[in-house]
Amino acid sequence: MARGQSLLAYALMRLVIAIPMLFILLTIIFVVLRVMPGDPLLALWGGRTPPASAIESARVQLGLDKPPIVQYWIYLTGVLTGNLGVSIGELYRGQPVWNQIYLRLPATIELAIGSMLVASTVGILLGVVAGTRRDKPSDLSIRLYGTIIWVIPVFWLGIMFQLVFAVWLGWLPPHGRWSGTDVPTRVTGLYTIDALLEGSFPKFLKALSFLVLPCLTLGLILSGFFTKAVRANMLRTVNADYTEAARARGVSERNVVYRHAFRNALVPVVTILGLTFAILFAGAVLTERTFSIEGIGLLLLNSITSKDMTMIQGVVVVYAAFIIAISVVIDIVGALIDPRIRL
Amino acid sequence: MAIVVVVIVVIAGTLTAFYLGLFAAPRAPYQLQLWYNNDGHYGDTEDELATVLKSSIEACGRVLVTLRSDPWAVYRQNWAAGTMPLFLLGWYPDYFDSDDYISPFLSISGARALGSRYNNSQVDQWITDEQTTSDPAVRMARFTSIQEKLAEDAPYIPLFSGNAHVAYVAGIQNVNLHPVSFKWFIMDKPGATTLTGATTDKIISLDPASAYDYFSIEVINQVFDTLLVYEPVQSKIMPGLATEIPTVANGGITNGGRTYTYHLKPGVTFHDGTPLNSSVVKRSIDRVIRLDLPASAAFLLYDVGALGRDPTNGNNTAVGTIETPDPLTVVFNLARPVSFFNDLMAFSVSAPVPWDYSQTGEQPSTVGSVIGTGPYRMTQHIENQLVVFDRFANYHSPDLYQSFGINTIPVEDQVTVNIRTTAAALKNDIETKQVDVVYRTLTPTDLTDLQSRASTLGITVTVGASPQIRYLVFQTETITDVRIRQAIAYSVDRAAIDNVVFNGQVVPLYSMLPPEMPYHSPVFQTKYGAVPNCAQANALLSAAGFFVGLGARELIARDT
Repeated sequence: MARGQSLLAYALMRLVIAIPMLFILLTIIFVVLRVMPGDPLLALWGGRTPPASAIESARVQLGLDKPPIVQYWIYLTGVLTGNLGVSIGELYRGQPVWNQIYLRLPATIELAIGSMLVASTVGILLGVVAGTRRDKPSDLSIRLYGTIIWVIPVFWLGIMFQLVFAVWLGWLPPHGRWSGTDVPTRVTGLYTIDALLEGSFPKFLKALSFLVLPCLTLGLILSGFFTKAVRANMLRTVNADYTEAARARGVSERNVVYRHAFRNALVPVVTILGLTFAILFAGAVLTERTFSIEGIGLLLLNSITSKDMTMIQGVVVVYAAFIIAISVVIDIVGALIDPRIRL
Repeated sequence: MAIVVVVIVVIAGTLTAFYLGLFAAPRAPYQLQLWYNNDGHYGDTEDELATVLKSSIEACGRVLVTLRSDPWAVYRQNWAAGTMPLFLLGWYPDYFDSDDYISPFLSISGARALGSRYNNSQVDQWITDEQTTSDPAVRMARFTSIQEKLAEDAPYIPLFSGNAHVAYVAGIQNVNLHPVSFKWFIMDKPGATTLTGATTDKIISLDPASAYDYFSIEVINQVFDTLLVYEPVQSKIMPGLATEIPTVANGGITNGGRTYTYHLKPGVTFHDGTPLNSSVVKRSIDRVIRLDLPASAAFLLYDVGALGRDPTNGNNTAVGTIETPDPLTVVFNLARPVSFFNDLMAFSVSAPVPWDYSQTGEQPSTVGSVIGTGPYRMTQHIENQLVVFDRFANYHSPDLYQSFGINTIPVEDQVTVNIRTTAAALKNDIETKQVDVVYRTLTPTDLTDLQSRASTLGITVTVGASPQIRYLVFQTETITDVRIRQAIAYSVDRAAIDNVVFNGQVVPLYSMLPPEMPYHSPVFQTKYGAVPNCAQANALLSAAGFFVGLGARELIARDT
């Protein structure tokens, strides 16, 4: 009971700290976007030149004629009431910011989850193997793999996979999330889940087939880093005093590795996994671009180039919310694994 | 005594050396900043284009070019502020009249807005003349004078016309690189009732009052009709919703070019079954002007088209500007003669929309909200993924293009256009034949690759001229010396741009008015030649006070 209460208090404290963090972040973003050079209104018309009256009319319609402090107040109250405003950029102009995020977030979530599954499975397995077989050929091979895969540019690996598996072998679709007009009816926006909710296993397989190459590409790249992280932590814990003590008490090596060394090695790895996962939610821009996935990463990139201030703000709000939520979850998981964290 | 002699000799020698110019301080090279956009507004080739231009200008040896770049929002602000002395821009016309390649650049107001700040009242008057007359002889004379003055003053240097390209599965017919808008509704895949395509373009808005980008307008042109439309291959207008093109001869243009009268085809209905009549046309035009949506082409109607915007009439056109004497006649009374008003009535912003379209804001671009009178209905739209068109059974003019050999439009029952993120995806699409047609935009390298393997892949690749032009802009209030601008015009190497950057797929341009348009004259070729002329460029720079040895091209010329 006492343990449960302290964990709850710990989680609540993390959430309370998150509120001023979010407020500071929103303020910084608001100020930075207005200080940076570039006029989104002029950019709206591309290379064309409407009369000054049209530009001024647009400025009024988009609320950019108001003093910055008023704009800031409107922005903050909007965020608090769930209204992220309307895009003022060239690509999404006039469209509610939340609609664009809502449309694209599922694509990024599917990509992030799929990639993390690949990365954590490959990374943890190889890391444990390497960490328990220090300097043996398998360790050396895995270290070499970790280094090489981590430095390969994600777009290059993606293009190679597309070339081999899509163009040459024709096994998998090269890009996009779907082909044809029979898109699963939107419930969650995640095509795999929506296909299952629709009761169509062929559609589920089809959605999955579009995920294989991008998730494999990003997942394998990330697995290089995870492999190294897990290996390093395993080396630390495998030779730690408490594992030596376990061995001295006659605990089998298998139990020493998996119940003592591996569990303790996981604490920092969980933090890395969690934060990487959170970063992926902000969008794996290069992967999304390589595989024509209209995710939140591309949304942010396009918004930055057109200085779409409301869209950037909106994406950052959602991104910050994800980071905070995942940080809290990481902290709680970490606290569950290692009670000392709560002290 | 010896010392005196030595001093005299030294003084005499020094004076002689000065006289001979041996100690003359070498005059510096001309330093020039060349700006370009770096976030893909003009595609992925912009940095390469800027680099080739830099090396081409520097090759004559007397100009040092510093490359600078900015993302579009900043670039746009820089040019409005006049802080870029020389910069790269592109232009895609709104209406297909020669005026749209001239007045935005060379009229005093246009030149200020487009960044050159060129100011010549004589040229301004010539532009007013060509805009307000429909007499071809007068227009020819004015456009000739304007282009000659353009070459002489060189506030812009035309570089090349862009290329348009399309790749499609061999056997598909009527895949035309139309200068105005790609027509999916005339494509014919023998033995099939459906067609699939792919593009890297994005839909921004499908409301004619808002759309002002290439692909949105392309989609609008499949779903909506305008009073006048374009022929299937050429940018020549023909009747669409109207029964004929107004001319002076048929009484459609009166009052010295200020009044245009259109007669509507009877029995036309929108996709929702509501009728099209003159009141709907008037309400649609007034809606565009009243809403004046950000980034829209509304100004083409109230400003360029001289329909006006009246605050005392709720920001609609003034009372009496658009008259509807009967349900099938609509009369436009313009504030001044506009010789290209018919072209404006063929532009998507003029497309009539149903009576119930939103009168207070932009109509959503979702299925059921996009309602036109065109050959296709939009039946599916997944944002940034695909758009699907289905045949509109009650289309008013299925025989519209019969005289061009297309018996019925639309040809296919259904067309699906997939939206991709990258050019590589587009190439994959046609390589694997996941789609039948890919249009806009392959990279020059991919295009060349597909062309070389076309027969193996079983595809056809067509490359043609695009109405888009690319050019350099001088901020003439910064680079005031016309000799400098002329020297740069002499040293620009258009062939290098074509070969190095675009694999030979663009067309060198020698006037702001491209060769496909009436009244074109290759004035830059006449005045500056088709190849760089360093001797002339350097003579002008020397006259302007800049000098630094011989340029690479001159050295090569002397060695060979």
